[in-house]
Amino acid sequence: MAVPRHVACVMDGNGRWATQRSLPRTAGHEAAEAAVMDVIEAARSSGVTWLSLYAFSTENWRRPAAEVDILMRLVRRAIRKHAPVLHARGVRCRFLGMTDPRIPAPLVRDITDLTTLTSDNRRMTLTVAFDHGGRRDIVEAARSLIRSAMPPDQVTEASFAQHLPYSDTPDVDLVIRTSGEQRISNFMLWQVAYAEWVFPQVLWPDFRAAHFWECLDAYRRRQRRFGEVRQSTTMTGEGLR
Amino acid sequence: MSHTVPEESVDVFGPDSILRRLVNEARWGLAVTRATLLEAAHPQIGAALMENSTFLTRPWRRLRNTTMSSRRILDPDPRVRDREVARLNRLHARMSGTDAQGRPYDATDREARAWVVATLFESTVTMCRLSGESLDAEAMRRLYDEYRAFLALIDGDNDHLPATLPQFWSYYDDVIEHRLENNEAVGVILYRLFANVPAPPVLRGHPAVWAMGRAVAAPVATAVTISSLPEPFSRRLALPDLPGSRTLMHSAYLTAALATRYLPESWTRVEFFMGLLDPSGAEASPWDAVRRKAGKVAALARLLTPASDASAADESGQVIRSAERFFTDVLDQTGDGCLRWPDLAAMAREIATRLDLGERDEERLFQAYAAWWRELQAALDSDGDGRVTRQEYAAAAALLPGSGLIKIADVLFDVTDADDDQKIDAQEYRNLFRTAFHRDLTGGDGSYSRSAFVRQFVSFMTGRQHSSAYNSLLSQE
Repeated sequence: MAVPRHVACVMDGNGRWATQRSLPRTAGHEAAEAAVMDVIEAARSSGVTWLSLYAFSTENWRRPAAEVDILMRLVRRAIRKHAPVLHARGVRCRFLGMTDPRIPAPLVRDITDLTTLTSDNRRMTLTVAFDHGGRRDIVEAARSLIRSAMPPDQVTEASFAQHLPYSDTPDVDLVIRTSGEQRISNFMLWQVAYAEWVFPQVLWPDFRAAHFWECLDAYRRRQRRFGEVRQSTTMTGEGLR
Repeated sequence: MSHTVPEESVDVFGPDSILRRLVNEARWGLAVTRATLLEAAHPQIGAALMENSTFLTRPWRRLRNTTMSSRRILDPDPRVRDREVARLNRLHARMSGTDAQGRPYDATDREARAWVVATLFESTVTMCRLSGESLDAEAMRRLYDEYRAFLALIDGDNDHLPATLPQFWSYYDDVIEHRLENNEAVGVILYRLFANVPAPPVLRGHPAVWAMGRAVAAPVATAVTISSLPEPFSRRLALPDLPGSRTLMHSAYLTAALATRYLPESWTRVEFFMGLLDPSGAEASPWDAVRRKAGKVAALARLLTPASDASAADESGQVIRSAERFFTDVLDQTGDGCLRWPDLAAMAREIATRLDLGERDEERLFQAYAAWWRELQAALDSDGDGRVTRQEYAAAAALLPGSGLIKIADVLFDVTDADDDQKIDAQEYRNLFRTAFHRDLTGGDGSYSRSAFVRQFVSFMTGRQHSSAYNSLLSQE
């Protein structure tokens, strides 16, 4: 039974979930917290060792200021609430992105604290893409590569990837995008190159462990070929790395 | 008593010196702490400590300097030893005056210096006794001779310390009985130093963790020190004798002895603990693990404490607070709340110690600081009481001409620029600040020009610009 090593979730549908219930959009974000915790636990118990969550994109800053503000508060509250549990369960937490000065200072400090606290855990690595943009990461990597003055003919995919943030992160095997939307939305562009995608119809606040297992099942039934013609039996894509 | 000044090339302590072995063991710290307390009770030493020393506000810096100094004096190379002795004597020659009761004191006083060595000897003997490994008569006599040689080195002769051990014990008991007093310095060491000791550099980033640990450790350190003191002394000073404290003290000494005997030698050597005092933390040291653990505990503590939303509310208070902090962190070296000559002298002393300056350079540095002090006094000391209060400084600091500071920066540049090429290179910078260059300070060729150096020093000393390099030199520890 092949379990994907690295699963990523694009947590879509919070706004629609709230609208369907005639609630303010922020209620959807609030309800998302339970889904996040459920998925983290489901991933950990099914043996997934890398989990990435797309929490906030660089484009999300364009949302109404009040919504962004509440979102920041919710994230901070969730971090403070769940930090001890995440640490106790051996989850290493990291945050991808996090460059915008608009992120409130207390939130930055809590995020730094959570990262420090869990830095030595190894059971599962949870990467939260916060203020993240896939293209920006690639541009940053290019900058860093140029600064390192590497001769052009020595630049390979592997050496380029060394300059991406958290370069130890393996390629994503499975991306789950909820609410039926089928877009990449600038998410971890480099890492999702060979990922399998599933698009469950359920909105993120309703997404639970059972849905997560269904997605893992769908992944298992697929045959991953990585561009080759003959049938490949590998399901984890580890051979590629 | 004849002069026992040693011949130039002779290693006075001998290859199998007991003293040299002990100063390299971390447990000697127990003996030194106890000895410091007995020294402080001497009227001359207590006054000099209270008036000049920065040990209360910067105990770690003081500990580091004292350790380095004693090692240099015990160095087999006579040049290292003599240079250190000369430096110590110059340093102490600058400390004299009158104490709060109007009694004169002088840090070069022969009798007082003999007492310092006497307390160190007796504390070493006591340390061995309490550790369950008493020195035999022969070892004790040898140790005493080594201490007498130590005194002869720093003082030129050792006439003030009795020639034989039996004479020593009656001298010692006599001083304890009749000469020592319950002065301010003793109270400060027992009840303020331990309770307020700032975090060592390795834990500086985590004040909460340090405060938690200190809340437990400080009363223990006080109890251990008090119970190890001579009974007549404790009786005269009416020091508290708490139940269990003697057991605690015995356990502390015994643990230290067992650790020295059974743990890997590298763990119980002084170097291991000196790693605590290294603010740079650049190289991988055993303390990295401590630093990391402390970081995690602090992070967890912050995440568990209720969140406060007082963020941008007091932006305006920031400026005032930073001026206040600069006064406390940098200018007020002795921690008495106002600026006096000993504060400035302490800064000059620290720089001279770091750079291991010779007599001429040291004198120039002190002269420059003295000039700045005169300038400060003329401009700021409105009531002419020889001290500049926090308020006086805050009110007028910005209006100072600053020529005194520029002169200090000039001298500092000269003495730091050891090879006289009019540039501070990476090594010279490291000697002064114990940390690597900061890229943005240097010119294109990786060195530091006089004008840039002077500019940075002046803007730091007027509190206009923060500099972590100067902070580590003058404010921390």
